[in-house]
Amino acid sequence: MSEEVEIRDAEARAAAARVADYEHGWSSEIEQEFAPKGLSEDTVRFISAKKEEPEWMLEWRLKAYRYWLTMETPDWAKLNIPPIDYQDAYYYAAPKQKDKLQSLDEVDPEILRVYEKLGIPIEEQKVLAGVEGARKVAVDAVFDSVSVATTFRKELEDAGVIFRSISEAIREFPELVKKWLGKVVPMHDNYFAALNCAVFSDGTFVYVPEGVRCPMELSTYFRINAENTGQFERTLIVADKGAYVSYLEGCTAPQRDENQLHAAVVELVTLDDAEIKYSTVQNWYPGDAEGKGGIYNFVTKRALCQGKNSKVSWTQVETGSAITWKYPSCVLNGENSVGEFYSVAVTNNYQQADTGTKMIHNGKGSRSTIISKGISAGRSDNTYRGLVRVAPQAEGVRNFTQCDSLLLGDQCGAHTVPYIEVRNPSATIEHEATTSKISDDQLFYAMQRGLDQESAVALIVNGFAKEVLQQLPMEFAVEAQKLLGISLEGSVG
Amino acid sequence: MSLLNIENLSNAIGDKAILKGLSLSINAGEIHAIMGPNGAGKSTLAYTLGGRPGYDVTGGSVEFDGKDLLELEPHERAAAGLFLGFQYPVEIPGVSNLQFLRESLNNQRKARGQEALSGGEFIRLAKEKAGLLSLDMEMLKRPVNVGFSGGEKKRNEMVQMGILDPKLAILDETDSGLDIDALRVVGHGINSIMRKPDKAVLLITHYQRLLDYVQPDFVHVLAAGRIVKSGGPELALELEREGYAHIVEAEGASA
Amino acid sequence: MSALPVPSRRQEDWRYSDIEAVASVWPLPEPTAITVGEGEEAAHLLLQDAADGSVAVHDYVIDVAAGGNCIFHLLNIGGKLGRVTFRVTLGKGAHFGLHGAMIGGGTQTLEIITSVTHAEPDGTSEQVIRSILGEKAVGSYLGRIEVARHAQKTDASQSVKAMLLDRTATANAKPELEIYADDVKCAHGCAVGELDKQALFYMASRGMEPRAAQSLLLRAFVAGVFDGIADEEDRQRFESAALAKLDALAHRGDAGGEGA
Repeated sequence: MSEEVEIRDAEARAAAARVADYEHGWSSEIEQEFAPKGLSEDTVRFISAKKEEPEWMLEWRLKAYRYWLTMETPDWAKLNIPPIDYQDAYYYAAPKQKDKLQSLDEVDPEILRVYEKLGIPIEEQKVLAGVEGARKVAVDAVFDSVSVATTFRKELEDAGVIFRSISEAIREFPELVKKWLGKVVPMHDNYFAALNCAVFSDGTFVYVPEGVRCPMELSTYFRINAENTGQFERTLIVADKGAYVSYLEGCTAPQRDENQLHAAVVELVTLDDAEIKYSTVQNWYPGDAEGKGGIYNFVTKRALCQGKNSKVSWTQVETGSAITWKYPSCVLNGENSVGEFYSVAVTNNYQQADTGTKMIHNGKGSRSTIISKGISAGRSDNTYRGLVRVAPQAEGVRNFTQCDSLLLGDQCGAHTVPYIEVRNPSATIEHEATTSKISDDQLFYAMQRGLDQESAVALIVNGFAKEVLQQLPMEFAVEAQKLLGISLEGSVG
Repeated sequence: MSLLNIENLSNAIGDKAILKGLSLSINAGEIHAIMGPNGAGKSTLAYTLGGRPGYDVTGGSVEFDGKDLLELEPHERAAAGLFLGFQYPVEIPGVSNLQFLRESLNNQRKARGQEALSGGEFIRLAKEKAGLLSLDMEMLKRPVNVGFSGGEKKRNEMVQMGILDPKLAILDETDSGLDIDALRVVGHGINSIMRKPDKAVLLITHYQRLLDYVQPDFVHVLAAGRIVKSGGPELALELEREGYAHIVEAEGASA
Repeated sequence: MSALPVPSRRQEDWRYSDIEAVASVWPLPEPTAITVGEGEEAAHLLLQDAADGSVAVHDYVIDVAAGGNCIFHLLNIGGKLGRVTFRVTLGKGAHFGLHGAMIGGGTQTLEIITSVTHAEPDGTSEQVIRSILGEKAVGSYLGRIEVARHAQKTDASQSVKAMLLDRTATANAKPELEIYADDVKCAHGCAVGELDKQALFYMASRGMEPRAAQSLLLRAFVAGVFDGIADEEDRQRFESAALAKLDALAHRGDAGGEGA
């Protein structure tokens, strides 16, 4: 790491020290257009009609909905989930649009203000403000359920990259969407995936054509804004042969008293020699210090490394949500394909996180790396759950897994549940796990040098998570470091 | 006016009394050495002045630069200008020295109402101090003390001292684990950083050898939780020659 | 006990088991209880070498009181299904050590299932498991360590290594940690791999036959598991049983022609 970068790191942490409790706890007033409350075939039809979807899409949704009706709510050992009343939620809410937007200037100023409050990184703000020479980050902003602003479409189009809201893509590129939608995460995959298929309201579609390196990092900000609105995002990213794209997903949610359900589905596809780097910073409302409220984050993320030498790298920093259930996975079908999973999960107060990955090695010479850093504080529970599977035909597979847990205080829990299933003798699988705490020595040493207790804890925790944080693009790394500090405020001492 | 004034300080770790009425006064511009047998309470004194949790003060007072030191949190003591050189410097994985020090320094500056140093200013400062201690700048990019040899850790402590620029440095067995060459470098570092009219040093050591390089103005013998004898540099030589037992007995200290 | 239905693979502890084989001996007898009193030391052995095609299930419930020490040596090689389970509860400062090896061939399913609960502070546990699996054998280790809320200064370790000899064999492992105390040292390591090719080549370059070299490396792989058996005779019994099983595996290709 260069000196300059080090310094910027330090600046970010200093900034973090100044940030107050939960800064995204507000709700902006934008007119909503709701689907009727509750879930039925009519809801599905309403959503599909709103999105002006073709008939095949409606049929697909209805099929998923009917399948979902036959499924049972999953019951996970580690998670303590109050029952969800699916009829007591809205499944569609769109900001009312004046007309079709031609440029960002026409975006509701209220929405722009929301982005500002969210602390969208300066670079992106410049982009939004149209500053010359600003670093190119395309923002496809998802506000509640509908994409309201897309920038840089032109430059992306010149490169041949398709970057659309998924509803637009369904209308404009039906064949491309049809080819891959639901192929990585089938509708019957799990309860929440099926629900998502039926009622997903919007999301993102990216297609990077053969040999194209996407000229900018793609970024989406998800927000949950309407009270009692389940958010069902759908993301599909396809990197054709030799293509490369880096995609950033970040989210915050306003403070609400009632639990909100978020059940997104993300599908990634890489063909020969293609690479997708998918980074997430998740900072949704975690509930208050007594465990009241907060988001239920039940997300299905999966990558299909179909081509030879293809690569998918998942990096996630999970600090928010009352309950997180999430296993970004890689199905490594391609010969010499590579899967990576870098994760930092922080839980405080009464948060519950059950996260990890699955690396399914089907291709010869496929390799995977898993680095998981779990930090538990307060009365929270933090679980790494992972699977590494090697199929009989997959010669020469390698996996390295490192799971480290850090406990702050003696009222929290840290759990490691790794499954290892190997059916080929040439596999080399290594798994290591450790559990530790911040030692009194470390804390005193840092304080003797002048750091107050919270800065000292934040610094040590950032050091603990460094291997993961350094995988993030710079804008995200800075934000993520702030979040770690904020999330752990008041957890020591 | 004295920079540090310890009066009748007593403390306990758990139920065990360690310091039993220790008094010591240090003026700006002075270098003091505290010597004494194992278990006399030397490190306890250093930790107590640093404010380490668990080192409970049971009596007496400590005034530092006009402030009641015992009222301050450890990081507030640091910001007030007190530096503790650890006998066993602590490892902090994943956090680089530069990151650690810049954040520490700027926290201290903020507490003192000073402007934070910019990245460039800080790097220049760090390079200068590292050079003073012949510590490769690359070492400062590595995680705090992780994988450092004993000697490197001690030199790193001195680089930290140089960067943080304290008023008073309490150096707890900074000479242990150093070979002759390193000892000379460290001694030179202490002199060039701390031998100034507005600064003072409290050296805690077992042996005379560091004192060959850092000439003390006063030498004290600590035994059974109290200063039992004070003198000039010649006292250290006497201790080296005669051993502690001789002096401790002569002064009638008992545990 | 008999009222319980035959387990299914949906149950965590049975996810890799041979349910059909279990059903044939269901219901299982009561588990063997081992109680180690305060400050006492106990050493137990199990050489599970049931006849081919039979079903062997051994369940142990072990309680080690404060300051007690229980060491268990296990060689799991026999039967169509060879399943050995341990449910261990440790008192203050108590120790449990499990040193186990599984060696399987044919269509054997071999399992070692452990659940070690550190209920009180200062307890230690150590589990060392080595598996060698050939042909269509399935070898599984499901090991769970739980550290209770106030069980500070717990030190628990799991070292799990498996070696597959054929691409038809399967090794499963789940070294699981459930930690509810912050001042603990829990580490697990798990590795699955094949014989060191470089070592094999090195040995060949010194004139050693491939099969001899392989057998030597396999012996080295399980060697040490039984070092701690105090009684010389017992130790030799375990070692020769392990070697005999390894030899049988090494010669598995002789009839069918499918070598390693």
